[in-house]
Amino acid sequence: MKKPVLQAGLLTAALLMALPGVVLYLASYFWGAWLLLGALCMLTAERLLTRGPAEVGVQARALLAKAAMPVEGICLALLIGAAIMAVTGHDPISSYGALFYGGLVKNWDVSVLNATPLIFTALAVAVAFHGGLFNIGAEGQYYVGVIVATWLGLMLRLPPILSLPLIFLAGALAGALANVIPAWLKVRTGAHEVVTTMMFAYAVATLSPIFIRAHGGDPSMTDHPGATDTILQQSQLPVFKSVLPLANYRLHFGILIAIVLALLVRFLLSRTNLGFKIRATGFNPTAARMQGISVAGITMASLLISGAIAALSGVTQVVGLDHRMYQNLSAGYGWNGISVALLARNNPVAIIFASLLWGTLDAGGQYMARTVQTPNAIIEIIKGVILFLMLAEYLWTWLSARLRRQRVAA
Amino acid sequence: MMQALAMIFTPQLLEATIRLSTPVTLASIGAMVCERTGVTNIAMEGIMLMGAFFAAAVGYATGSPWLGLLGGIAGGMAFSLLFAWAAVTLHINHVVAGAIMNILAFGFTRYFMNVFYHIQGTSPALPVTLHNYKYAVPLLGSLPVIGPAFFNQTPIVYMSLVAVIAWAWILARTRLGLSVLAAGEHPMAYETLGRSVPRIRYFGVLMSGLLCGIAGSFLSIENSNSFTEGMTDGRGFIALAANIAGGWRPLGCFLSSFFFGFVDALQLRVQSSGLLRIPSEIFLVFPYVATIAAVAGLVRGSRPPAAVGKDFTIEGEGD
Repeated sequence: MKKPVLQAGLLTAALLMALPGVVLYLASYFWGAWLLLGALCMLTAERLLTRGPAEVGVQARALLAKAAMPVEGICLALLIGAAIMAVTGHDPISSYGALFYGGLVKNWDVSVLNATPLIFTALAVAVAFHGGLFNIGAEGQYYVGVIVATWLGLMLRLPPILSLPLIFLAGALAGALANVIPAWLKVRTGAHEVVTTMMFAYAVATLSPIFIRAHGGDPSMTDHPGATDTILQQSQLPVFKSVLPLANYRLHFGILIAIVLALLVRFLLSRTNLGFKIRATGFNPTAARMQGISVAGITMASLLISGAIAALSGVTQVVGLDHRMYQNLSAGYGWNGISVALLARNNPVAIIFASLLWGTLDAGGQYMARTVQTPNAIIEIIKGVILFLMLAEYLWTWLSARLRRQRVAA
Repeated sequence: MMQALAMIFTPQLLEATIRLSTPVTLASIGAMVCERTGVTNIAMEGIMLMGAFFAAAVGYATGSPWLGLLGGIAGGMAFSLLFAWAAVTLHINHVVAGAIMNILAFGFTRYFMNVFYHIQGTSPALPVTLHNYKYAVPLLGSLPVIGPAFFNQTPIVYMSLVAVIAWAWILARTRLGLSVLAAGEHPMAYETLGRSVPRIRYFGVLMSGLLCGIAGSFLSIENSNSFTEGMTDGRGFIALAANIAGGWRPLGCFLSSFFFGFVDALQLRVQSSGLLRIPSEIFLVFPYVATIAAVAGLVRGSRPPAAVGKDFTIEGEGD
């Protein structure tokens, strides 16, 4: 057989195995992992065939080196978490047992559900970061997405094939609009986007009860204090259970949309003209200006794109999981999105995995609190410590610089 | 209509303004000092939260609000030390490090609420708070309008006024003030004089920790009697904005914090007077909108310290 044909065959096989593998695994059909493993083997075989063993070895080592730092950071954070638990009188071993059993096996569907909105908000933060901006108010744009999706979900009487894309589009547009004022102020007056987007987030969150009351929410009612009516059936995302009968009934297709969006953002940043300009502006605005890039335009563009993606997070949450807007929905997806983006070093594909880790820690933390009574706030601390240690490369440069100075002095 | 206005603009409005602006004033002075030394501090929200928690925890454990205040200061300063280590010693991007500190603070306070009291939400109430130590300055306290607002207040309100005056004096008249300004304007020049930029930046961050610790204590053991999760409600960020709107000057910080306090007090008053029949949320949003307006409108007139937010290494020749 000719080489190109074999190569194409291997790639097709890998893809055909990976896609169902991902879907099955996410739906708690854990044997999907075998398909993923198979796809990985196919991919490796294809690489070996085209590039030769030496280069594959180099690539594999580079990937391992890249993954080493996060893994070390996570392990160290878990150790510190264990120390805090031990000091405050909780058994670390049984706690962690419950944490990982709950997060990765028993309630894996909750982990996936937790990860879905995080992928969006983290991508939003990452796009802005690449452009040298800090969209700290992703939480506010999330609220905007939730409001738009709930409103349209209650109003639109269209077949799902029209209704859902329309809701996603409108949500993204509204999220971008929410960032127009901060972006414009940044460009015109230099007002720091950290302050303006944050204040917008507080403002939207404060105003949202007005919307809830206007659409069925009644704080005096006991069964649904502060939640809107349920959105119409045709505006709800399909669930995994419609295809895979054993999947959890709440698990919706939002995670797949999130993964596709992550790949799109990766394409945008690394393969398109706009993405290049965004990264150039973030890396060195002066140099970008010298190259004829409109820094103001790119600043606007990256904040608007960021707002749109963050709003999609809220849209997905409404049409997929909640089907309504809750008053105290502050699940902190905006804040956690920042953490995930930092953990993934703003790499769109890494964001998928980092979000799943975050979702797992949350879901496992709840399971742990229920079963072995270790307070799940410890999860927040572990997350914070992971982030702190993720920046361990700075620790390393600091230590080596110190050693060098000492040697010079001696 | 006139009657309605008279109901809102009472002498008590000024008093409420001062009270509500106190935490913002303290934190914005902290932000000012910190940024003047060249460190952007968005961790203040978290530092304030830690201060509020430890003030309530120590105050509840010992029964003395004064020890609680010390606890709040210690908590705020210890937490800001961690931030200083990350931002100055480890050279982590200031904004990134600050964001992480905020996340850590939320986690720590929630966890220790659980460990100490086995409850979520609100900590047990202190029997005696600093509000019980209201002190009227003799003579001045009996002045009309100004008297009750400025000279018949609780301890931390006085502290915030002292902080403003003290820092105005330090920056304008002392060697320390000059060091603070130099480190933020031209760190390399400062280092060339044989002084240590990292040391003065640590000082700046710790000062913001001290002031935010007091601000947090105000929230938990003076303005109320317990700690509530997330009780800072964005005041750390508002203080950051107040500092920017105040042009990185102590008096400016005070005036813009005063403005936010005024908006807040007005909001409460108009809302409770029931004069306007519109949803109360419209009023709650005032301070946030005012912050955006202030940052957008006033930022043009002033200039931030030249080296603020920039990492300093001797190898990197100061930028």
